[in-house]
Amino acid sequence: MSAAPSADFLAALHEYQPLVRRVCRLYCQDADDRQDLFQEIVVQLWRAWPRYVPQPDAKLSTWLYRIALNVAISNLRQRTRRPASVDVEGEAWHLAQPVEASAYEPEEMAALYRAIDRLSDVDKAFVLLYLEDRPYDEMAEILGITQNNVRVKMHRVQDKLRRQLLHK
Amino acid sequence: MELDDLRRQWRQPEPASMPAPLSAAALQQLLARQSDDVVAKLRRNAQLEMAINYALLPLSLGVAWLAPVLWVRLWGGLLGLIALVCIFYFHRKVGLLKSMSNPAGDLRAYLLRLTTGLRSLIRFYYRFTLAMVPLVCLLMGIMTLTSTTKAVTPTKIWIISAVLVALCAVIYLPTAHITKRYLHWLYGQHLDRLEGQLRELNDGPEA
Repeated sequence: MSAAPSADFLAALHEYQPLVRRVCRLYCQDADDRQDLFQEIVVQLWRAWPRYVPQPDAKLSTWLYRIALNVAISNLRQRTRRPASVDVEGEAWHLAQPVEASAYEPEEMAALYRAIDRLSDVDKAFVLLYLEDRPYDEMAEILGITQNNVRVKMHRVQDKLRRQLLHK
Repeated sequence: MELDDLRRQWRQPEPASMPAPLSAAALQQLLARQSDDVVAKLRRNAQLEMAINYALLPLSLGVAWLAPVLWVRLWGGLLGLIALVCIFYFHRKVGLLKSMSNPAGDLRAYLLRLTTGLRSLIRFYYRFTLAMVPLVCLLMGIMTLTSTTKAVTPTKIWIISAVLVALCAVIYLPTAHITKRYLHWLYGQHLDRLEGQLRELNDGPEA
């Protein structure tokens, strides 16, 4: 797995890195866990990249959301802390580290993250896709359920989130 | 603040919190690290154990073929048989884990694949462990019969066989119980969580 990443993979990752970071921010409150999850998602994207076949009616973002969410939700990683990031040394890597997000978050966003954190992992996926403004048909493709089901669940999840925001 | 306002803010992070894009060198370093995922770890372990068994197989068959003493030859043959069973087991295990380690596809299909794979893995491990009990008892019987310096009479063979069958029966139940508990401790919480998520996703107007 140490083969040089292809230029098209690097370009895709460059474009969608903020998206992957947002998924990690949503699923992990702890900065170290977030970093571990980011690394795991990137590794899985890299492994899946050779099998990715661009199709006219399928967006790269859909493929990427699927993998990022699948990895974040299934999360069969051991929760024991280990200095995973230490493996990746060098100035280049440190430049890529996110600045601790909470230091720059406005109070509204901090409250939103606290409210999201109280939801289940599956509900978080709905919240993510809602915040990312994805259309219902793409949500259905990412989650593997019908659009009708997405609509119903989305209303429920939004209600839950509103209640959580009120009880901050 | 309304959810729609939060949604607008969500996609416009503060510039200071934006991470720098990964360079090719940083990405290569990141990709060189081994996956933290439990499935990836299980797969690596299974591949290592399979390699050990592949190395053991010709060794034990060599002993079975070339050893001058009968009991050593029998031992070699049985160890070779166990190595063969283990190779089959690890091939199946690696295949199962491989099918579980691809996170492409929609969330529901992926959760279903993980749940089914994990259940198969548990069932397979359980059956394999229980199948090894009589095999180990047989190995012990051969060891006892072949290592004795006194003459082996038919009565002695019957007594040893009866003792081994009884031993096998006594070991079988605790082994089954302990294996079940061990597997539950190892995979139970993952399986419960995955099944819960699948139920949550399936629970809808059409469910």
